[in-house]
Amino acid sequence: MSHLRYTIKRLLQAIPVLIGITSITFLLINAMPGSPVEVMLGPTASEELIAAAEERYGFNQPIHVRYVKYILAALGGDLGRSIHYGVPVTTKILERLPVTLLLLASSFAFALSVAIPLGIVSARRRNQPVDHGSRVVSLIGVSTPNFWIGLLLIIVFGYHLQVLPSNGLVMPLTPISEVEGATSRLDVLVQTVRSLIMPTIALGTLQMAAVSRIERSSMLEVLGRDYINLARAFGVKESVITRKHAFRNAQLPVVTIIGLQLTSALGGAVLTETVFNINGMGRLIIQAVRTQDYALIMGTTLFFGVMFVIGTLLTDLTYAYLDPRVTYEGED
Amino acid sequence: MTTPLLSVENLQTQFETAEGTVRAVDGISFDVHEGETVGLVGESGAGKSVAISSVLRLVESPGEIVGGEIRFRGETLLSFEEGPNGERRQSPESLSNKEFRQRIRGREIATIFQDPMESLNPVFTIGSQLQEFIEINRELPPKDARDVAIETLREVDIPKPEDRFDDYPHEFSGGMRQRVLIAMAIACQPSLILADEPTTALDVTVEGQILNLVSDLQEEYGTSFVWVTHDLAVVADICDRVNVMYLGQMAEQADVHDLFDNTKHPYTEALLQSVPRPDKTVESLTPIEGVMPEAINPPSGCRFHPRCPDARAVCREVNPEPRNVSDTDTRHNAACVKHDAFDVDYEHSTPIQSEGDEFGEDLQVTEGSR
Amino acid sequence: MAAETEETEDQEYESRVGASYMLSRLLQDTTARISLILIAIISGMALFAFVDAEFLDYRLAETYLYHPLRNNAGTRPLLPPVGLSNQFGDGVLAHPLGTDTRGRDIAVRLLYGSRIAIQIALVSTTIGVVVGTTVGAVSGYYGGWIDDVLMRFVEILYSIPFLVLVIAFMAAFGRELIYAMIGVSIISIPIFARLIRSEVLSIREETYVEAAQAAGVKDRNILLRHVIPNSFAPVVVQTTLQMGTNILIVAGLSFLGFGAQPPTPSWGQMLSIARNYMLPAPWFSVWPGLAILITVMAFNILGDGLRDTLDPRLEN
Ligand code: SF4
Repeated sequence: MSHLRYTIKRLLQAIPVLIGITSITFLLINAMPGSPVEVMLGPTASEELIAAAEERYGFNQPIHVRYVKYILAALGGDLGRSIHYGVPVTTKILERLPVTLLLLASSFAFALSVAIPLGIVSARRRNQPVDHGSRVVSLIGVSTPNFWIGLLLIIVFGYHLQVLPSNGLVMPLTPISEVEGATSRLDVLVQTVRSLIMPTIALGTLQMAAVSRIERSSMLEVLGRDYINLARAFGVKESVITRKHAFRNAQLPVVTIIGLQLTSALGGAVLTETVFNINGMGRLIIQAVRTQDYALIMGTTLFFGVMFVIGTLLTDLTYAYLDPRVTYEGED
Repeated sequence: MTTPLLSVENLQTQFETAEGTVRAVDGISFDVHEGETVGLVGESGAGKSVAISSVLRLVESPGEIVGGEIRFRGETLLSFEEGPNGERRQSPESLSNKEFRQRIRGREIATIFQDPMESLNPVFTIGSQLQEFIEINRELPPKDARDVAIETLREVDIPKPEDRFDDYPHEFSGGMRQRVLIAMAIACQPSLILADEPTTALDVTVEGQILNLVSDLQEEYGTSFVWVTHDLAVVADICDRVNVMYLGQMAEQADVHDLFDNTKHPYTEALLQSVPRPDKTVESLTPIEGVMPEAINPPSGCRFHPRCPDARAVCREVNPEPRNVSDTDTRHNAACVKHDAFDVDYEHSTPIQSEGDEFGEDLQVTEGSR
Repeated sequence: MAAETEETEDQEYESRVGASYMLSRLLQDTTARISLILIAIISGMALFAFVDAEFLDYRLAETYLYHPLRNNAGTRPLLPPVGLSNQFGDGVLAHPLGTDTRGRDIAVRLLYGSRIAIQIALVSTTIGVVVGTTVGAVSGYYGGWIDDVLMRFVEILYSIPFLVLVIAFMAAFGRELIYAMIGVSIISIPIFARLIRSEVLSIREETYVEAAQAAGVKDRNILLRHVIPNSFAPVVVQTTLQMGTNILIVAGLSFLGFGAQPPTPSWGQMLSIARNYMLPAPWFSVWPGLAILITVMAFNILGDGLRDTLDPRLEN
């Protein structure tokens, strides 16, 4: 089975998951107290006014009719209007999505670039000081709430040393005039990097710790395998063994873990964005829940689901790329 | 006599475990001459595989080679000396790890592992793995190494080697993978191949094919082999000389014919009797009595005495080193005090009871019976 | 023959996972021992707070410590902890960790916050284990369409980012504690369902289960007597680790305002208050986070220790 067919198969498998996500969210929202129209019109609105508005927006129809309508509209790219912001939900989401994606990408990049070497060194120098040190760091990393890391970073680097901005995230493509003190694109980019550092560490630490733990144990496992010994027996250098022979095999469980870490990273994004006042998807969903902005809650949840599905798909494909056996096993 | 290709003297390898020190290999010596196939025989746990790993320096922590000397074509690969504080340490004559890796591993001494399913890296094609070893050990450019690889795959009877070159291990059967492992060993053109029970994981028909293949290849290249096995039938089939190991020590060392026809050690005798042979009916098969004790706490004296039908009181006290007990002029070593060469008054010692006499019914040799 | 196999297997299982054997193996590990002690202390604190809050109307706290909820007008708010010297003469050890914005003693509030953390984590993990185990066992044992339906559902639950799921859930039903518990348990269900299912799939093939089937033992009894007890080890490990994870999630929820509502103290909520005083009182942000870190770490260490003890395959 080719990689393309595998990809398509995995994409098709994602459809029921997305349908499930929308139905669950839809049900939950409809279980909320009060109708969206009441929220929209405020507490002073008269009964008639509310009834008229419900009629107009279709809220008086039975739930399954509304669900089907919603899905059909969503397929056409229409997720409704945000009551709170007064703009189409898709507009709002597309405005916020890049922010969250940038944050996620940078924190995964940070997590992997630290965790993989750390895990490998730990495995190679098993039970030596480096190993103990890195294991303690990982243990603390998986046990610390990311928003607390954020708070501590802000206290130290934002308030005390005053070296990094503790509020907001400057997107690399923001118009130069809108960025304070920036006179060129380069200034904007510098601002981007500076504003990314603390949120990245806050959000990425958990991923970093989780990955380095699995990297270590997976590397240890692989280094004890017969085929590694065989390579040694044929005179392959230790450094080549680590880099080439063991590396790829050892990454398989790591890729799986990264896939599993996706949900926690998305949840973590909500917290990190709150701590650093970053206007991304996470703050948007909190905002939507606070203001009971129904269409927005639906839309953001759906998009979080989509991000998860795409992320899982990417890890699956990476796995299939790394392990030649997968595409075959995938047949059954 | 000519210098042996490989000579192992008093090799000691031990493992530190939570329960204590396990002397997995406890002072064994053996030689391998040019063009010869030498068998290393024993039940599992006898230390055969550890001995092989020790020669290649593949023993991993918590295991460690702690004594002995290994020479290859007269050159010292490994030896030990007394340190200033009386501790034993590797002597400076030993080859450094780097030199050992570059000059010996693969190039001079190659190996065939036991488990064909586990010994090939699942994420690389068999061709690339084979090619890499050839590049390293024969210093060939990639293009030529690839040609050699394909040629060698053909030699080990893999059909359509050009096509199979780019296949992954999971696309091969166990027997085919074993052929690939053999190809790896011979493609590097070493003078010695250490084969660690390479046919154990295979079924009998495939085993026969592989043994034939190896005999043919050996005729062609004149490579020496150390063939580790617990299967005496295999030994009879391909070996020139045989070393029988018991609990980390040598029990008997002889020419293959002498070993079978003129057995000198009770353990070898027991092994022979436990093996089904065409000239024996199943009824006359006697299993070896008792289970091999753990190397962590070996019996005193002769390590075989708790199971030995010929054991006498003196066997509890004397741990015999293998000595020449031959009646002819070919050397035949046995580590058993019942031979006159030992002179410990075995004749007048009182026979002792062993599992060999008592519990014969329900105890079986651990591995031969599988 | 079947009966005999069953019995020896049972004995083997007893000796392998028998609680006392497990404990004695575990206690050989120093770090695991420390983590057990820590968990015992924290649970003791949580129990104390629970009893005092639920049944005694904070009388114990008022008599021996400070009232954790009531504004303390007499005490200076945001009093720094000992060491950063509370030079205003409240007695050096009066408020060892300082006071919060309303003059309430932080140490006491941390103590009462432990109750929320442990209670929610315990209830939600338990629901997760019970429901997840049942779903996973049924799914794995029967296979076929039951398996398909259940696993698809589990996968959907698994695919919604958990914080978003719980927030949506709490938005729908309310922000009270009970919904936080149910919400967090919903995200634990898929984890245990998947774990048990894969265990069941491998155990189902074991001879003694086949023997029991052949001997005509009812499905339900096979599940209860063989399959579930044999999945014991991985479940214990996962439960311990999940306790830690759930405490983290609960803290995150409270930080966002979904969880115990003020004035009931919870660690996450204390942090969200502290967040507004990072400049004048940075130490205020330190304590609750430290409490979370220590608690979660204790569960993680214990989980790792249990895994090493119960599952030698995963030796590291
Ligand atoms: S020395 Fe004694 S016990 Fe050992 S093999 Fe010979 S007869 Fe048997």
